[in-house]
Amino acid sequence: MRKFKRKKLNRGAVVNENGSVTTDADCGRKQKLAIIHQALIRDPVDIEILRNSSASKGGLLTDEMRRKVWPKLLNINVYNLPHKPGRDVRENHKDYNQVVLDVRRSMKRFPKGMPAAERAVLQEQLIDIILEVLKRNPQLHYYQGYHDVAVTLLLVVGERMAIAMLDTLSNFHLRDFMDPTMDSTKHILNYLMPILQQVDEELHDFMIRAEVGTIFALSWLITWYGHVLSEFKHTLRLYDFFLASHPLMPIYLAATIVLHRAKEVKQTECDMAMVHHLLSHIPQDLPYEVLISQAQALFSQYPPPLLAKQAALQSRKSLSISTFQAFQLSTLHQRPDVVLQRLTRAQDSTTSRHGLEAALSRDRSQLWQRGNRMVKMAVWGLSATLGAAVFAVAQTAMDWGPDVFLQLF
Amino acid sequence: FHQFPLKHISLLYFFSENDSLELFSSLENDNKQARTFKIIVIGDSNVGKTCLTYRFCGGSFLKNPEATIGVDFRERTVQLDGERIKLQIWDTAGQERFRKSMVEHYYRSVHAVLFVYDMTSLLSFESIPEWISECSRHSVGPLVPQVLVGNKCDLRESCQVPTSAAQSLADSHNIPLFETSAKDPSEKEHIDAIFLTLAYRLKSNKTLRLKQPSESSLREMRDQQEQDATSCRC
Repeated sequence: MRKFKRKKLNRGAVVNENGSVTTDADCGRKQKLAIIHQALIRDPVDIEILRNSSASKGGLLTDEMRRKVWPKLLNINVYNLPHKPGRDVRENHKDYNQVVLDVRRSMKRFPKGMPAAERAVLQEQLIDIILEVLKRNPQLHYYQGYHDVAVTLLLVVGERMAIAMLDTLSNFHLRDFMDPTMDSTKHILNYLMPILQQVDEELHDFMIRAEVGTIFALSWLITWYGHVLSEFKHTLRLYDFFLASHPLMPIYLAATIVLHRAKEVKQTECDMAMVHHLLSHIPQDLPYEVLISQAQALFSQYPPPLLAKQAALQSRKSLSISTFQAFQLSTLHQRPDVVLQRLTRAQDSTTSRHGLEAALSRDRSQLWQRGNRMVKMAVWGLSATLGAAVFAVAQTAMDWGPDVFLQLF
Repeated sequence: FHQFPLKHISLLYFFSENDSLELFSSLENDNKQARTFKIIVIGDSNVGKTCLTYRFCGGSFLKNPEATIGVDFRERTVQLDGERIKLQIWDTAGQERFRKSMVEHYYRSVHAVLFVYDMTSLLSFESIPEWISECSRHSVGPLVPQVLVGNKCDLRESCQVPTSAAQSLADSHNIPLFETSAKDPSEKEHIDAIFLTLAYRLKSNKTLRLKQPSESSLREMRDQQEQDATSCRC
């Protein structure tokens, strides 16, 4: 316990060392919103400030701000969102029944005052977005609890953005939970006890003696606490934090919650059922801000590689962890929304360069229909023979990319 | 246990007439000497495992239950023939991926098993044999008392599982069958009876250890069981 107290002191220092960005926890709400706004319009977007603001006191503060910042945290272009899923998304999907069962039972996730009809519409959308993401990623497998993540996104950012965000999250942060089996999920849960051991050995030993395991934290981890918190605002606060953090952060937060309740745990009968029962019910009045900064402090003090040296964590590779660095790098060069909007309007065609083969051929025809006016005029101006020749060249150039194509004229 | 001769109707009377049950809400200051029995509740998604255990432990019907993620735990202490018995009920997630790698931890040292299917879903009933065999794969021995429960009997119009089919499945595995409804208030006592059937069986099995039974104690139990079968007609 003494060890942990020392840690608390360290944390204070860490927060202060982080400089101007994290100290905005102390400054007013308005000031914080202004800082976030500035970060959003910088070119490239200042992702560091956005991440720090998401984690620091109060998180992103408003849903309006979340709609702007969440996509940036996941490197999503808001002007190039997936289309609404059609009816066919529900056809022939192995997880269809399970998704419907879980979504229809998820009434508690919707705001209490919401009219039933409105909720019903959102529930149908929820089924669609889950199935859409699963269809786009055949390697991913649905798990009960995935719907709790999806609903949180849907309620804040709406259907199309929720698809884009869920798609990215599923391929990165939630990737380990979506294997055919839950072995990788178990592996992530295995990080919990080593963190506890570092901070409070007595508590750790007590829990080992009780054989409580870590399943009490399973729903916390795989739903990012969306399943266990009754106040939606708390869930949102944690989503701000997790979207801006390492995929293992939910486990570090789980550790701080257990540590926060260390006294209670140690006073309980040392028995699997008793300890599981106590821990699996999260008190609704947790000091989230304190726990979040403690989780950050634990993360920097005992980073995942340090914990992974423990025997139980060596055997397995986590996709979420191994791809995280590349994912973070990918978020560094985002253009602000104003620029993105202009770019998207001006050159729809650029998307085809990054797209798949199928998208390429589709966009190619679109280019002819609504492409650059100058291109069209130039083509029309040519004689029929020349035109045919140019067309042939242009077709080849298209394979190299629209930029080359445009340079031809 | 499989020789247990009482069918569900008579059980209801058996418990409500012959025994004065003093029921305690969960997690009171329990007498340390109360024996504890661990019951695991398994079955497909959405069959009503959570509602059944909630009805038994909390007394009321759980409105708008959500999917169970991982394992939930509920508890109720009952008094049977003057002895306090603590029943720990482990309510599990129905989705296959959970039971494959998560739930196994909870099969360990389990004292009794409750298989649940939804009477309005033939699929959930057809999964029961798989649940039963999975149970035995997790080294839940044949001596561990088991019951089969068909839930949602209040939805008579949409019933897809005829009692005769359920009964023959139950008979083929030598486990008693109950058809009930966690929702219907008049079935409340019946649900108590189901769990108390298990409690009675566990209580009378004196050789059952509180912690995980060792191989030798299992053997001992088996011998005892055989003796019971010949000498006792319950």
